[in-house]
Amino acid sequence: MSNWEILWGAREQFWSGFASTMEIFGLSISAAFAIGCGMLYLLEGSRPRLTVPVRVFIDAMRMLPFLILVYLLYYGLPAFDIRLDAWWSGVGALAVYHGCYFAEIFRGARLTFPPGQVEAAKAHGFTKGKMFFRLILPQIVMQTRPLLGNQLIYALKDTAFLVIITVQELTAAANSLSGTYFIPTEAFIVVIGFYWAVSVVMEIIIKQCGRFSAKRGFDHV
Amino acid sequence: MFEKSTPEPAGSGQTTPEQSAPDDTARSDRIAVSIRHLSKSFDGVEVLRDVDLEVREGDVVTILGSSGSGKSTLLRCINWLERPDSGSIHIGGQRIGVNDAGRPMPVRELAKVRARTGMVFQSFNLWPHLNVLHNVTEAPIHVLGKSKAEAEALARDLLEKVGMSPKADAYPSTLSGGQKQRVAIARALAMQPEVMLFDEPTSALDPELVGEVLAVIKDLSAEGYTMVIVTHEMAFARAVSDQVVFLEKGLIIEQADPETFFTNASTERVRQFLERNEG
Amino acid sequence: MNASAWQMLLDGAWTTIWISGVSIAMGVIAGLLIALIRIARIPVVDQILVLYISLARATPLVTLALFIFLSAPTFGLSLNRNVAGILALTLNTTAFNAEIWRSAFRNFSREQREAAMATGMTPWITFRRIMLPQMMITSLPGLINEMSFLIKGSPAIAVIGIVDLTRVTNRISAVTYEPLPPILVACALYMAIIGCLVWLQRLAERRANRLAM
Repeated sequence: MSNWEILWGAREQFWSGFASTMEIFGLSISAAFAIGCGMLYLLEGSRPRLTVPVRVFIDAMRMLPFLILVYLLYYGLPAFDIRLDAWWSGVGALAVYHGCYFAEIFRGARLTFPPGQVEAAKAHGFTKGKMFFRLILPQIVMQTRPLLGNQLIYALKDTAFLVIITVQELTAAANSLSGTYFIPTEAFIVVIGFYWAVSVVMEIIIKQCGRFSAKRGFDHV
Repeated sequence: MFEKSTPEPAGSGQTTPEQSAPDDTARSDRIAVSIRHLSKSFDGVEVLRDVDLEVREGDVVTILGSSGSGKSTLLRCINWLERPDSGSIHIGGQRIGVNDAGRPMPVRELAKVRARTGMVFQSFNLWPHLNVLHNVTEAPIHVLGKSKAEAEALARDLLEKVGMSPKADAYPSTLSGGQKQRVAIARALAMQPEVMLFDEPTSALDPELVGEVLAVIKDLSAEGYTMVIVTHEMAFARAVSDQVVFLEKGLIIEQADPETFFTNASTERVRQFLERNEG
Repeated sequence: MNASAWQMLLDGAWTTIWISGVSIAMGVIAGLLIALIRIARIPVVDQILVLYISLARATPLVTLALFIFLSAPTFGLSLNRNVAGILALTLNTTAFNAEIWRSAFRNFSREQREAAMATGMTPWITFRRIMLPQMMITSLPGLINEMSFLIKGSPAIAVIGIVDLTRVTNRISAVTYEPLPPILVACALYMAIIGCLVWLQRLAERRANRLAM
């Protein structure tokens, strides 16, 4: 039996690892996106006392490795009697960490947002919240999509760190298969192929979104 | 590609294959630049059509014409920044771009021929990472292999000549347009070229800075430099030229000494052009 | 935390710094070489490099480190952990650096290049004397940014048993049963390292902007 046949026999493990990675990824980037939008809203200044802490928090996260945040949640939080299992620590860390990166990307675009549009909205009697969610946020998201796409790929790659705190995801599957049958090369080639395929699909989707945005005049980023 | 009908006898060296018409003034009859049957198209549009032009040593030839007439392309063909579709160009008797076997020149050989010309660009194109002095010494050191001391001595002389010695240590980003262009002239002169090519040297300058650059070029002409100048400055062209060439849609339609050109042009098109550009 | 815990943390920081430093140095140079080969557009070689860059950008560092460390012995190579770690980090960062270098080359002013050729410089002299010095200045902010990313990704090498600044916190808490303090100190050390890089990046940006004027 060739090594590839062994792997085919163990395809269930790959699939469950892949499904687990995609589940973690999907859940955490959805949360991260919400966190990023929320932080941008706070930076708009409706809660002035929170603006500076939010900025400090974003900058701090951008200066830390993702894994150390995972350690903080997984090993550090129990000191405050908060116990998260490995899976939730991982999802939580991904959401917070990449939420901060999303917020920073949005903040950069917000700086160049045309103030005339905001004034026009105010003149039409928009409330702050309505203006943010109906006017500012959609434009900023469309404008920053290439950067958001890059960040999604980083987030996907960061899911692999969770093997270190024993989350059973895709890299863990390759690791355990290569341990069981001692065919590391083939096992990891398959897994890298999975990551690569997902990245390529994401890039294509972002490009398709680009066409959609270009129709609305957002092709200049 | 290139016309096979213009093979160059090997070893023609510095002597000029073409005989120029005798001239009433006692100028050199040696040909610095000879252009024969030059044609060039961009995307099917003919920019130069069978252009012939000779520049004698020590002469100043200005090329006039409305924008899009092909005058910059003609100048850029002389040092092979643009490759013509057909025809030949000789610099001091040496054919540029095509070797004796009729094939495209290897890059090293081409660079050697290019070094015999100096070019001044509309947008200066100084190298921003080098200060003024090093902009001028860079090519003499790394192309001609001059020693640093020799190149710097020459550069300081040239910067003196263009009035830029006080700024020898400055970086290009701190200079005005007129100052940049004077440095660019010194940079081209530093290669001690046989012919200087000026591509609209004052078109990118604020009006009050045009004069300082034109004054430098005028000085060079008085010193006997061979120059080919593309310009829009009519008064300057009239004052400095030995020969004026008018290009229209890639054709030379008038070629005369400046007096004749500006007072007694033979073509209606040139008279129109002069009228429009005087008022 | 006692003195030996502090010592262990500093050792871990040193491991992170030297392994990252070696990878950065190799990755910057290899990135330039790959960018130049890609600019030459050699058939087949170019396609292979495009595939490499695409794969390297999509492969998580943890996965790459495990792949290299575990599969090398099956090819009869016995890689020491540090070498495997450096190899993984270098393979990853080289792909990103190659794109930074390539874009600096592609965005280089055509007019400046023409000015160089007009003085009789060969393409090689033009590259060495005119383009490369400026490409180094314009690429530096991007390269330093990529260095920050490499440091932030470096804890991945813990997976093959290298005791870096992140992994060392486990070692300390195994003795003290107090994981939080060493993790917080490690956070502070990472912030110091990356803070330095961010500061350098700002200086580099200022220099690059001055060149663009």
